[in-house]
Amino acid sequence: MLDRDLVADVLAAARRRGGDLAEVFVEERSSTSIRLDDGKVEELTTGLDRGAGVRVVEGTSYGYAFSNRLDRDSLLEAAAAASAALRQGAARSVVDLVRVHGEGRNRAERPAGAVPAADKVAWLREVDEHARAVSGEVTQVTGIYGDSLQRRLIATSDGRWIEEDRPRIRMVAQVVAKRGDVIQTGWHGPAACAGVEFLDVHAPGETGRIAASRAVTMLGSIPAPAGEMAVVVANGCGGVLFHEAVGHPLEADAVDKEASVYRGLVGTKCASELINGVDDATIPNGWGSYDFDDEGEPSARTVLFTDGILQGFLQDRMRAAKMGVATTGNARRESYAYPPIPRMTNTNILPGTTDPADVIASTERGVYVSGLAGGQVNPATGDFVFGVSEGFLIEKGEITTPVRGANLIGRAIEVMSSVDAVGSDFETWEGVCGKDGQGAPVGSGSPTLRIARMTVGGTGG
Amino acid sequence: MAELTDLVRIAVDAARSREQVEAYADETRETEVSALRGEVEGMKFSQGRGLGVRVIRDGRLGYAWAADPTPEEALDTVRRARENAALGEPDEFNGLPEAAPFTPIPGLFHEASAALSTDDKVRRALDLEAAAISSDPRVGKVDLAQVGDAVSRMAIASTLGVEAEYARTDAWVVVVTLAVEGDETQTGYSFRIARGLDLLDHHAIAKEAVERAVRMIGATKPQTAKLPVILDPFAASEFLGVVGGALSADAVLKGRSLFAGRVGEPVGSEAFTLVDDGTLQDGPATCPVDGEGVPSGRTDLFTGGVLGGFLHSTYTARRTGGSQRSTGNAKRGGFKSAPGVGTSNFFVQPGERSLDELYAMADGGVLIDDLAGVHSGANAISGEFSVGATGLRIRDGAPAEPLREMTIASTLPDMLRGVLAVGNDLRFFMGVGTPSILIGEMTLAGV
Repeated sequence: MLDRDLVADVLAAARRRGGDLAEVFVEERSSTSIRLDDGKVEELTTGLDRGAGVRVVEGTSYGYAFSNRLDRDSLLEAAAAASAALRQGAARSVVDLVRVHGEGRNRAERPAGAVPAADKVAWLREVDEHARAVSGEVTQVTGIYGDSLQRRLIATSDGRWIEEDRPRIRMVAQVVAKRGDVIQTGWHGPAACAGVEFLDVHAPGETGRIAASRAVTMLGSIPAPAGEMAVVVANGCGGVLFHEAVGHPLEADAVDKEASVYRGLVGTKCASELINGVDDATIPNGWGSYDFDDEGEPSARTVLFTDGILQGFLQDRMRAAKMGVATTGNARRESYAYPPIPRMTNTNILPGTTDPADVIASTERGVYVSGLAGGQVNPATGDFVFGVSEGFLIEKGEITTPVRGANLIGRAIEVMSSVDAVGSDFETWEGVCGKDGQGAPVGSGSPTLRIARMTVGGTGG
Repeated sequence: MAELTDLVRIAVDAARSREQVEAYADETRETEVSALRGEVEGMKFSQGRGLGVRVIRDGRLGYAWAADPTPEEALDTVRRARENAALGEPDEFNGLPEAAPFTPIPGLFHEASAALSTDDKVRRALDLEAAAISSDPRVGKVDLAQVGDAVSRMAIASTLGVEAEYARTDAWVVVVTLAVEGDETQTGYSFRIARGLDLLDHHAIAKEAVERAVRMIGATKPQTAKLPVILDPFAASEFLGVVGGALSADAVLKGRSLFAGRVGEPVGSEAFTLVDDGTLQDGPATCPVDGEGVPSGRTDLFTGGVLGGFLHSTYTARRTGGSQRSTGNAKRGGFKSAPGVGTSNFFVQPGERSLDELYAMADGGVLIDDLAGVHSGANAISGEFSVGATGLRIRDGAPAEPLREMTIASTLPDMLRGVLAVGNDLRFFMGVGTPSILIGEMTLAGV
C-alpha cells in the first residue's frame, strides 16, 4: 500500500523526540451493507475507507494522530503531531523494516467482493421467506447483510513490516412477532472472518428461521422471576457471560490502572475448579481471529484459567513491558482512527465432562438462559449484568415455561466461583464489543454451565 | 484540499436526468487528552473527512460513501450510489426534501473555544486528574480523566436546491474515579459537555465524580421488593434513550414501536412532558438543519402524558401521508451512513420540585444513580425493562446506605404511567436531557 522508504521516513519523524516505540498503521477498507425490511431492499450501501495512524509510545504514555491521506506530507504531519505528545528527548533511530509473514488463518475461499450484489440481495430474501414461514404471528422481518475487506499494513520502529487482509461476513436477522397485545423479538447473527463459503454452513434461511422461532417462542412467555436462584446457561451463551464478567477485568489496561478486581490474583484460585478458559485469536476464520494484532504482534492462544486458577492477563506491548511479561497479542483497534488497546478476541470456556441434559435434570428450580442480548461490566468492581433475550423456567429438573424481561446480575469472582456444573457440549456466539468508543468483532464460546446461585432481575414471583 | 461545499457541488452536478442526487460532506478536527498519575496518558489528534451520496431514481435508493475523496473519487462515489440504487426496490415514498430557508444558530461555533492551544488542553487534563485525586483520602487514583474538543463542519447540497453549510464546536470532560477502602473498590463517574472546554468547570466535574464513588463504599445487595424509585439524571437519561427509539416514525411504520397508533392518547403520567427541539439555544444537539438539509424544529412528544406525535424524516413523513411533514429529525452518524430518524435535543421538561421534595415522596425507596446493561435489558419494541443498577436507599427524606448488585425492572408503559413527579434539576447528557424522575413502583431484585 505504501512505499517502504516513505514508511521508514514517517517512523523516523515520529521518533524525532524519542519514544520507546513508533508505529504506522495503514488501512484500506471496502464494505457493503444491505438491509431488507418489510420484504424490500431498503438500503444498499458501499463504502471506501482509507487512512493511516501514527503512534509514538513512551512507557505507558502515547501520542496518536491520523490522516485520511496517504501522501508524504500528510503522513509526516501526523508523525509530527503524534511525537509532540512526548516530552523532548533525543531522536531515536528506526531498524530496517523486514516483512514478517503470517499463517493466513482468515483466508476467504470465495471473496465476498467478487460476488454480485444481486446474489447478496437474494440471500436476504431467503432470510425473509424462512422467517415468515415459521408462523403467521411473525409481523416484521429485517435482514442485514454485511461484508468487508480490510487491508492492513503495520510497520514498527523495531523493524517489523506486516501486511494482512481480513475478510468479514455477517448475516443478521431481526424478527418481530405479535400475539394479541404481546410483542416479542428474536435475533440471530452468525459471522466470521471468511468469504461467502461461510453461508454454506450458516444458510441465510436458517438464520431467519432461528430468529423467528425465538420471537414466536417468547410470545408464550410469562414475566421472569426476581431474586436469587440457580441459573443454567446454555452452550454458547456462557461465553458472553465469561466475556463480560471476567474478560474485561483481565484486559491489561484495567489491571495497570488498578481498576480490575483481578489485579494481584494471578496464580490464585478465583473461579470454580471446573472453569478452564482461554482467549484464542488463532481459531481459523474466527470472528475475532487474526494473524497479527493491530500493533503487529503474532496472535496467540492465551490461557486465562486452569482449573479455576488465574493464569494471566490480556496484554498489549506497552502494558506487558511495564508488567515485565510478554505481550499476548491482544492489541486491537476499530480502524486507523484509533490507537490500539488491549481487547479480547475469541474468548471461550472449555467444555467439561457432564452431559448437558444432566445439568438441567439435576436442577430443582431456576432459570435456563438460551438466548442473550449482551451485557456490561464495571471492571473495577466486577459488577456485571447480562441481558436475557430467551429464557425458561426450570422446574423439578425440566425446562418449562418461557420467561421474558430477565437480566442477570452478579459479581465476577463470586459468580465464576459458584459454577457447579460444566457440560461436555460447546457452541459459539459472535458479537461486536464496545470499549473506549471502539467497536471490535469478538467471538465467545462455552459449554452448558450452571451457576448455583445468582440474582435474576425479573418482575415476577 | 477542496472545500466541503465544492465537494458536494461536484457530486450533485454529476446527476443525470430523472435522478435525484444529494451529497453530504463533513470534516472534524478533534483533540483528546487523558491524564494518569500526573502525566499525559494519551494524546489523540483526529482529522477526518468524507462524503456520502444518496441517489434516487425511479423510487429506488442507493447510498455510497468515501473517506476524504479526490474530485475523481467523488464522481466515483456518485457512480457507486447509482449502481446501488439500481438494485433497490422501488418505493414511491423515497424522495429528497425540497429546499427550505433555515436560520443560522448563533453561538454554535464558539471562536474562543476553537482557538484553545494543545498546551491548554494538556493543562486542563492534568488539573482534572489532580483535582480528582486530592479531595478525599479514599480517592487516590482515577480510571479515566479526559478532556476533548472538536471543531466540525458540514455541507449538504441536492438537485432539489438544498444548500446548507455550518460549523460547530463541541467539548467534553469525563472522569471516572476509584475510591478504595480495605479490599473494596468503587467507581464514580461524571461527564459534562459544552461548546468549548473554556466553558466547563473541570473542578466541579472532578468533585462530583469523587462524591459518586465515595458514597458507594460499603454497598450491599438489597432484599428483593417492589418500591418507589428515583432515577437521577444520569440514570434517567439512559431510560429516556430507550423511549426515544420508540418515538421515531420509522419504528412506528415498521411495527417496532409500543407507541404505534396511540397519538392523542394518555401514555404517560400527567407529570411527564417530553420535547424534541433541534433549535434549543445552547443545546448539545442543536443544529440549523438536519442530516438532509431540512430546518431543525421543535416537536412536542408527550404533553402532560398525552402522546402528541412522532419524529420524522422526509421519507417517514411522506409514507405517513396526510399533512405530516418532516420534523427535521433525519440524523446521520457522519458521512458513512444515509440519514435515518433520530432525536436532537430530546428532553423532559423540568418540574417545580426540589430533590428534597422528591426524597420525601419516596421514603423507603431507592435513588438510582447508575444503570448497566440498558442496551441489552431494555426493549423498546416489547416494552420490557430490566437493567442492572446501583444507588442509595432513601431513608428519612435523604439518600442513606449504598446498594449494589441489584436490578430494577418494569415495563416502559408502566414506568411512563408511574411517573409521580419530576425534579427541577434538568441536565443534558449528549442530546438527552432530563431532571430526576420519581417512579411510583418498580421491582428491585437482589437477595
